[in-house]
Amino acid sequence: MKQDLDWEPRLVGFLCRWCSYAGADLAGTSRKKYPANIRVIRVPCSGRVDPLFILKALRLGFDGVLVSGCYPGDCHYQTGNYYARRRMAITKKFLEYIGINPQRIQASWVSASEGGKFAEVVTAVTEGLKEVGPNKLFADERREHRAKTTKRG
Amino acid sequence: MKDGNIEQKLQSEARALLEQGRVDYIIGFEAGSLKFTTTPLITSNIADIDRLVVNPFIVNNLSVYLTEVKGRVGIVAKGCDSRSIVSLIQDKQVAREDVVILGVPCPGIIDLSKVERLAGKDRDELDDITREGDRVVITVDGNGREFPATEVLFDNCLGCDFPTPKEYDVLLDVSSPLVSDKAASQEKLDKLKGMAPEPRWQFWASEFDRCVLCYACRNVCPACFCQRCFVEESEPQWILPVPRWQDSLMFQVVRNIHVAGRCTDCGECERACPVNIPLRSLTREMYDLVDELFHYQAGMDKEAPPLLAAYEATDAEDFIR
Repeated sequence: MKQDLDWEPRLVGFLCRWCSYAGADLAGTSRKKYPANIRVIRVPCSGRVDPLFILKALRLGFDGVLVSGCYPGDCHYQTGNYYARRRMAITKKFLEYIGINPQRIQASWVSASEGGKFAEVVTAVTEGLKEVGPNKLFADERREHRAKTTKRG
Repeated sequence: MKDGNIEQKLQSEARALLEQGRVDYIIGFEAGSLKFTTTPLITSNIADIDRLVVNPFIVNNLSVYLTEVKGRVGIVAKGCDSRSIVSLIQDKQVAREDVVILGVPCPGIIDLSKVERLAGKDRDELDDITREGDRVVITVDGNGREFPATEVLFDNCLGCDFPTPKEYDVLLDVSSPLVSDKAASQEKLDKLKGMAPEPRWQFWASEFDRCVLCYACRNVCPACFCQRCFVEESEPQWILPVPRWQDSLMFQVVRNIHVAGRCTDCGECERACPVNIPLRSLTREMYDLVDELFHYQAGMDKEAPPLLAAYEATDAEDFIR
């Protein structure tokens, strides 16, 4: 398959409001460099992330999804990230079984003080997605046509 | 299983439950309108009790009606069904004291399409199908042909570990010997696992191309008890009501993740599917995955919290950066 030379992976990041989102903020204020491939969606807690969000992102053609929350023990709501951890483990393995590259589904713990780690995670995930290539999972002729005729966000 | 005796015992138990006013409804099986088949019977009328049957064709997982029928209920349950009931109790959808479980030790349910394939005849042309231990006798034109039971039982029955209900109020028979064939049960899954990721994805894409979004799989599933399903939400509209394989596959994958830890591999979704999508190859994988990751089996302990509403400090996180 011919790959677009200036293709760049698009990554959705679901960041928890208390830790990872603040970590991303800190990465910005401390002038840390990280790829602009990530589109951030702020969620109240990593436990808010329904696997449906992950599937919908892939369905819309995003190349990868990152769910990031507080470290175990640090959750603002005490236990939200523990539920997220179970859900992510199941989701990642199950999607791998139906044929989705597990590289596309990523999770991380990033605290509010870890601007550097946030930049590292986004860099590593983006590099991984470049290896995996564009997400054509849900593509079909109709969609290809739409992608050509409509502007992509 | 001596069906006659079980049937009598079931009928007398069910009659007593209704007469004593211990339950408002009995949910069981009666003979279906098509040959050999059975159909659910939900009744509060004592006169209907004579219609209750127990035979190797009682395929449905009746626990799906528990969340719909109001009041106290006496329900006929096989091994997998009883686990679905326990799962509903764990999720606080049903109160234990509101159900009287009439447990049937299950010798495995006969898949009529497998019988048709073996006999090379339509089910209407068969005189009789009888189960004797690990054999099944199919009678056509007065001649009986014997087959190993493993050749006619449903795939999920062949992989069943708990044919006898663990949770029950009355057990209608002593547990019956388990006839299993794990290899046959896992055959389709193993084939998929042997494929590279791309062909595997293509396999599911082409299977779901047939999906008409009838939601029968969801509607028969006792684990799918949400009052409002995400597929019917319009703001945001997660999937379009028009069947497209992308949306259909996405729906089914998300459904499987949502019922993780509730699915008991009863196989109802696959049986209900009007376009024969091998849904059990998804549900069974999730069942095994949950066991492998969290050593959890659905519906085994009514006191235990549901899988996804609980956590252990030691849950694996090797995949988290």
